[in-house]
Amino acid sequence: MSDWNIKDLEEWDDKIIELAKTHNLDWFPISYEICDYYAMIGNMAYHGMPLHYRHWSYGKSFERTHQMYNLGAEGLPYELIINSDPSIAYLMRENPFYLQLLIMCHCVGHSDFFKNNLTFANTGPENVIQRFKNAKKRIDSYIEDPSIGIEKVERILDAAHALSLHIPPNCKDYVPHKKRRKDLIKRIKSGDESVKKRNPDQFPIDEEIDLLSFISEMSINLEDWERDLIDIVRAESSYFMPQIRTKIMNEGWASFWHYRLMNDLDLPQKYHIPFLKSHNQVVTPHLGRINPYHLGFHLFNKIEERYGLEECFIAREVCHDESFLRQYLTEEDCFELNLFSYSLYKRDYVINEISDGEGWKEIKSSLIKQIGSNSIPKIIVREVKPNNVLRIHHEHDGRDLELGYAEKVVDYISTLWGGVVRLDTVIEDEPFEI
Amino acid sequence: MSTFKENRNVSDRSGSDRQRHKDKIDKAIKEGIHDIVADESIIGKDGKKKIKIPVKGIKEYRFVYGDNENKKNVGSAQGQDVSRGQRIGQRGQQSPGNPDKAGNKKGEEFYEVEITLEELAAYLFDEFNLPNMQKKKYKNISSKSFKRHGYRNEGIRPRLDKKETIKKKIKRRKKALKNGTLEEGDRFGFHHDDLRYRFIKEKKKPTSNAAIFFIMDISGSMTKPKKFLARSFFFLLYHFIRSRYENVEHCFISHDTSASEVNEEDFFGKGSTGGTLVSTGLDKCLDVVESRFHPSTWNIYVFQCSDGDNWPEDNDGCVKSAVKLKELSQFYGYCEIEPSEQRLAWMKMSQLSELFTPLVGENFKIAEIRKKDDIWLAFQRFFGGFRE
Repeated sequence: MSDWNIKDLEEWDDKIIELAKTHNLDWFPISYEICDYYAMIGNMAYHGMPLHYRHWSYGKSFERTHQMYNLGAEGLPYELIINSDPSIAYLMRENPFYLQLLIMCHCVGHSDFFKNNLTFANTGPENVIQRFKNAKKRIDSYIEDPSIGIEKVERILDAAHALSLHIPPNCKDYVPHKKRRKDLIKRIKSGDESVKKRNPDQFPIDEEIDLLSFISEMSINLEDWERDLIDIVRAESSYFMPQIRTKIMNEGWASFWHYRLMNDLDLPQKYHIPFLKSHNQVVTPHLGRINPYHLGFHLFNKIEERYGLEECFIAREVCHDESFLRQYLTEEDCFELNLFSYSLYKRDYVINEISDGEGWKEIKSSLIKQIGSNSIPKIIVREVKPNNVLRIHHEHDGRDLELGYAEKVVDYISTLWGGVVRLDTVIEDEPFEI
Repeated sequence: MSTFKENRNVSDRSGSDRQRHKDKIDKAIKEGIHDIVADESIIGKDGKKKIKIPVKGIKEYRFVYGDNENKKNVGSAQGQDVSRGQRIGQRGQQSPGNPDKAGNKKGEEFYEVEITLEELAAYLFDEFNLPNMQKKKYKNISSKSFKRHGYRNEGIRPRLDKKETIKKKIKRRKKALKNGTLEEGDRFGFHHDDLRYRFIKEKKKPTSNAAIFFIMDISGSMTKPKKFLARSFFFLLYHFIRSRYENVEHCFISHDTSASEVNEEDFFGKGSTGGTLVSTGLDKCLDVVESRFHPSTWNIYVFQCSDGDNWPEDNDGCVKSAVKLKELSQFYGYCEIEPSEQRLAWMKMSQLSELFTPLVGENFKIAEIRKKDDIWLAFQRFFGGFRE
């Protein structure tokens, strides 16, 4: 039924590899797994990890993808590759040959990005599969433990998932508070000028954004297995954080390269038009939204045009989405992409700015605020009061929290903390406490 | 350098997580239902009517931004004209920008489940069973049902089965080709013999019958809010019993100092200013049972709502009648409606509760309803203890 077999893929894979090497791409070996649609969305639900612990939210994710697919909302070719060495990628058996090639080229781009972009420096791709496997094993053992069981495990996982994005964006390991305090005392004693004015008894000792780690260290009510669950969620989230922070670049880079490689591959004529069609589908702008494929593809092309291909390689190495846009998004780009900003005014969504000479800078800064880790509200630990009351603080930057959600998350934090949790924020320009 | 591996593994890796998610939805539906069982909008609707119930609780909550004026969203409008101040949508509709990939934005995660009252009953009453549910024989009434029973060559037009007809034609054509009476490509029309009609057979079967009696005090002390609680409760009971029996009759009896059988509207609508003789209601019920719903053929359910007051001189007669009713019925539930907290403060049972307490047993239960939330609890109290 399909117009290809594995031999064809291998044969063309050789050509792709040869070509990509001449362009100085440098990626992890890729291990492709060919599966059907059903297995594909199954793998997608678990972020492509061959082994992943179980949680109902992944079942929900599966249902959602499945439903959207059935509604025809997701007609795009699925590509799925994980940041591991070797990179594991999935090819859907139902796809026609040209699409497999396009996806393989796209995967080379992603894998190159994983391997070379500095944001990914601490993700440990060489043993990530093993780490996920170990985490799964441990969680399975808690679920099977008659004194724990799935309900209790879910109670902690549900809560930890709610906080999973509130970790340092740069994959930094957590330094326990007690150790930081000790170090500070040592430095003060040694006469270090830069810390002279600091008080080691201040708590938390410095701005704490690593909520999961903080709770794991400081909560007095957690059992060992509960702490382990929190640490597992935190570790997984830390591994995925660079992907959140480089979505535009990563997809842009992969699209930039699949487009180039496919064009240079000497494809049989009959594949060329379908390839262009699929490519255009992938990088088409979404009205009123930002399609990361579109924006990233556009920018890498512009960078090449303006500064040469070498600059593209530099950006792919040192930038994440925020610095990428800050550095490379120009007035001309905003104008060409016809970016605009809008917000809720009373009951209507109203356009505030458009990309003309006056508006583009404002739009650029609004755009930067909504991408990567900037889309995650900044929550920091304030203090632990007597009676084990944990105070946390939302650093308000003009954008109000969704209260209904915030209340639930505060409940979740109390679950983990094992005590009362208070959050202060600003709603409609007034201080607000949950 | 790359490797390719066929994965023919048919294991469904997300299967158990999907089941877990489904369980949560089911649970949320059940929980959502309790909020709406006393909702005015569903009271009085018939079983086939669809109602919408919002299902919450399966969201994955995170700290996310809401919508306020200072939250500027950026989108692209390539190929479109946009201008400052242009309105592009309304709150509540799908917002024009709907970024939801990273899972850190609030997505549309509201399940609105549309179900019929019958399905709702199935959800609600899933875990409950009726005590003493018997299939009493009945002489005359049996239910008729129609069952499909294969196909016939003759029938009425609406029952023509196109698929079977075409199948027959294809069979005939294949035979013709095989026998050489037909060349490939020749026209081959329908023949009268191809026509197949669905055959419907009437089935009679004995049914289980239940008669439900709703007895309510409509004296002056039964205020409107009390009546609304009673109505909600009766509604729930009615649908529960209906979900268990094929043939259900109901009878409304209202009383103050005298009792009468009334229609549903009057039952819940009309009030009186008089005093209360509870025994009259019970005796009326006994009368109706005697004349129309003999216990040998009907399963009798009696539900009585009152605020607990009775004229003291009626107490003896009341208990006597209650005992009689209890004996002939499958279940007798007495529900006291007392919206105020007064009774609690007095720490004293009402007259009727006190009178009825000795009767409590397998098929006689007492429940109290003070507010909407109690309705479900009262229901559980009545039927929660029986398991099949």
